Amino acid sequence: MADNTAKPLIETTGLVKKFGSFTALNGVDLKVYPGEVHALLGDNGAGKSTLIKILSGVFKPTAGEIRVEGKPVSFTSPRDATEAGIGTVYQDLALNALTSVTRNFFLGREITHFPGPFGVMKMREMDEIATREMAKIGINVADPNQAVGTMSGGQRQTLAIARAIYFGAKVLILDEPTSALGQKQQMEVLKTIRKVQKLGDIAIILITHNEIHARLIADRFTFLSLGEVIGQGASKDLEGDDIKRLMAGGAEIGDLAKELAV
Amino acid sequence: MNQTASSRQESDRLASKGWLKSLLARPEIGPIGVMLLLFGMLGYFSIPAGEFSLNPFAGEGFNALGIRNNLRVIAQLGIIALGAGLLIIAGEFDLSIGSMIGFAGACMAMVLRWGFAIVIPYVSFEGGVHIEFFTLIYIENVSPIGAIMITMCFTLFFGWLQGYIVVRSGLPSFIVTLGGLFFLRGLTEVSLRAFNHRPDQTKGATTVTELPDMKNIINVPGHGEIEREAAKALPEADLQAILQTVPADTVASITERLAYTYQRVADAKTEIMAAKGVKPLERALENAIESGNETMVATIREKIANFTVTPVTPRTVTDLDVVRTYIDSIPSAQPVANFFGGDILEPIFDFLYFPVDWNTNNFGNQFAPGLYSCVMIWLILALLCYVVLSRTQAGNWIYSTGGNLQAAKANGVPTDRVKISLFVFSAFCATIFATCQVFEVNTADAAKGNLKELEAIAAAVIGGIVMTGGFGTVMGIIVGAFIFGIAKEAFFYIPGIDGSFYRVFLGLVIIASALLNENIRKRIMGTL
Repeated sequence: MADNTAKPLIETTGLVKKFGSFTALNGVDLKVYPGEVHALLGDNGAGKSTLIKILSGVFKPTAGEIRVEGKPVSFTSPRDATEAGIGTVYQDLALNALTSVTRNFFLGREITHFPGPFGVMKMREMDEIATREMAKIGINVADPNQAVGTMSGGQRQTLAIARAIYFGAKVLILDEPTSALGQKQQMEVLKTIRKVQKLGDIAIILITHNEIHARLIADRFTFLSLGEVIGQGASKDLEGDDIKRLMAGGAEIGDLAKELAV
Repeated sequence: MNQTASSRQESDRLASKGWLKSLLARPEIGPIGVMLLLFGMLGYFSIPAGEFSLNPFAGEGFNALGIRNNLRVIAQLGIIALGAGLLIIAGEFDLSIGSMIGFAGACMAMVLRWGFAIVIPYVSFEGGVHIEFFTLIYIENVSPIGAIMITMCFTLFFGWLQGYIVVRSGLPSFIVTLGGLFFLRGLTEVSLRAFNHRPDQTKGATTVTELPDMKNIINVPGHGEIEREAAKALPEADLQAILQTVPADTVASITERLAYTYQRVADAKTEIMAAKGVKPLERALENAIESGNETMVATIREKIANFTVTPVTPRTVTDLDVVRTYIDSIPSAQPVANFFGGDILEPIFDFLYFPVDWNTNNFGNQFAPGLYSCVMIWLILALLCYVVLSRTQAGNWIYSTGGNLQAAKANGVPTDRVKISLFVFSAFCATIFATCQVFEVNTADAAKGNLKELEAIAAAVIGGIVMTGGFGTVMGIIVGAFIFGIAKEAFFYIPGIDGSFYRVFLGLVIIASALLNENIRKRIMGTL
């Protein structure tokens, strides 16, 4: 469990994002600690996507501050965010299913014998690193030359996570990693997240719709509704019903039950 | 909940695939089969009727001349198929290849024929408003390498422009390069007509002829740079003078070689005469056996047994023969022209002519002097493409650009640069094709390269390139070029069928290949 006396790895204060007259985020405070899974929950349109897009450098905030390891940062592109140590694993995973595990692992950052695009790749070294890094978070790849298309959804997720960590992510943003997966693969992904958590130095922001997964894996929760934080707290302080209620956007789930019963 | 976790891992599922299945998942396996089939067909069908042989090299398809001509067709197609194939792997098309060939050939030939000038038009007011031309630079005699460079500037720029328009506008490359197809073909015809519109030219012709045979320009002692054939046709006294400059041991070895050749020619002629002379007797014998005339049969049998021909006496080696052979052996004074349009492997073809009886025609002469140089250029290009595509960072970028553009972009691959570079490479390959053609035949024609873009794409598809991009190998493109190039020849030799059946066959092969490619792609994607 995270040590609360530790400094947050990433911290936002009063984050506001406006698209014209529409306020997508209205002052969001968030603290994520190393070795901790921070679940970001909320209904559709609550502002989860806007928040992670700001953190990964796609959008610039209208107001507010982002600090990475205590230092204020300002991203103008996704590349800036990556360089600051924020790795985002999107739902589509940014993988090329037709090529091998190794080629995907190093896509855009290949290790070559000499610089320049015509540098011959050090295939063996890259194979070794890819296999090793994926084994670290729980998947033994039988053959690093197998096409990504032949891997299961869970394995692909692991590949994308391992890649982000290897290339220096200190904060890992996982955008609904278990959606569109089968039961067994969902469990695989959760195990992978747990392994990353145990590495101890990486902070994970987990966006999910699945309350059960969040309860299983998250150390801390933030609930968003209509661009604002409506609840925040450590896993042990929250009751199961609290989570359900807050996920539905703060509406009294009991009221809904009554309504439906009529 | 059932918590008994099985010891079987997800990754084990792949290992259960047998070797046969993994072999069948190789993208090249189908095309290689078709290629071998076609080679077999060409080999056996080209053996003359009635001459049974188990050796496929006995026929016209694979004798020295057959190999020379077939490999030229394959190599020419192979060169442009590399450019087209790599571009398709990156997810784009180039329909302008054929027109680019015509344009590049015409541009190169025009520069070689009339020189290169940069002319600035301006409006003049002296003596009425009209347009004047100011000649900034005019180079009259442009060397082959100069002409190639100038042409490359135009074609590579045009390739870049097409790529730039495609990536910037987001338009399908099909449309952009379709525009390029018409634009370039038209531009070629217009400029050829304009330049041919001179007093000494055929007005309005869309060809360039009367280029010197650059690759055969040689330095002859006492005569400077001169075409090989012209040197061999010099007056006898001049040839004798040239012979004096040749070292004695060279003369000796040429003499020895010529004596051997003439002997071979004489032997071959003797053999042919013997075969010809005995044929009527054999026919008479058959008739006699049929008619049952025993005495006649015996007489003819005796005649056949005693049949001899007087051996042909070989030609004597004269000084002129020696000096002409020596002139043949002088290396080209235009190495660039010779590199693109000349022959390669001449020593091997000489060897096959002399000690081995394979490169010899019915008159005892040498069949083929060597392979066309474009074969070597094709193989060099193919090797480079193989290394780039399979071994380098650029190769990984090409695959990912075609396989999943968004993923490539998200990982920082400069996909626009990858695509534009491959459009430029496609134009480069078309220009190399045109260069080889111009220096081989010393003419250019605006109609050159017609439909070549479709042949190149077809060869790539046959070789296992998936039209949606991201999938395929250089080995496949090579095999595709072999299949497309050899099909016509193979069908030509099948007795009793129309030669155009090769198109029917290719059409079926293209569709079958596309189906097979899609199947393999799905197998790899795991959706099958």
